[in-house]
Amino acid sequence: MNEHERERTIELLKGVIRPVEDGGLSGDLWPRMLRRMEEGPMRVPWFDWALAGLVVVLLLLFPGLIPRVLYHL
Amino acid sequence: MSTHPYLRAYMAGIVVPTLFLLVIFTFFWVMRFVYNVPVPIEHVLVFPMALVPNLWGVWNILYMRLSSRRRWPIGLHGAALVVLLSPIGYLLIGAQQYLIVPPALIALVFASLAVIYYLVWKYVVAFLNAFLGIS
Repeated sequence: MNEHERERTIELLKGVIRPVEDGGLSGDLWPRMLRRMEEGPMRVPWFDWALAGLVVVLLLLFPGLIPRVLYHL
Repeated sequence: MSTHPYLRAYMAGIVVPTLFLLVIFTFFWVMRFVYNVPVPIEHVLVFPMALVPNLWGVWNILYMRLSSRRRWPIGLHGAALVVLLSPIGYLLIGAQQYLIVPPALIALVFASLAVIYYLVWKYVVAFLNAFLGIS
C-alpha cells in the first residue's frame, strides 16, 4: 500500500465511521445515590413471605415436586 | 440510558433462568450419574436451557410494552408466564417417565410454579429492570 492509497483508506474510514458522541454523564448521580440510600432496605410484605413459606412447605411435604418444579425454572 | 430498550428488557429477563440453569444442571446431573436415576439428561435439559431463558426475555419485553400503556403488576405478569410455559414443558417432556406429573400433583406443581414466578419477577426481575433503566 503506497502513501496515496493509505491516505485514501484513512479518508474512507473517516467518512464511514461516525465520530464518537459525547459520552459524559447527563447529570449529577450523587443526589440519586442519596435518595437510594435513604430508601433503606427493601421491605417485603407479609403476604409474600407467606407465599414463599407455602412453597417451601409444599416442596418438603412432596419432594417429588422438586424435579418437576426445577424443570420449569 | 434511552437506547435499545428491547435489548435491555430481553437481557434483564434472561438473567435469572440463565444463572439458575447451573442449579438445574447440577441437580439432574447428580440424579443421573450419582444416584443412577434413569433421567435422559440430554432430553430434559433442552427445555430449561433453550426455551425458558428466551421466553423470559421475550416476556419481559412484553411487560415493557404493556406497562408503558397502563400500570400492570410485574409479579402477576411473571406468574402468567407459567400458563404459557407449563403446557410447552409437558409437551416436550413427552414420554419421560421420570418427570411425568401424576394427576394428583398437577395442581400443586402449577401452584408452586406460579408462586415462585410471582416472587422472582416481583423482586429480582423488577430490580434488574430498574437497574437497567427499563421501568
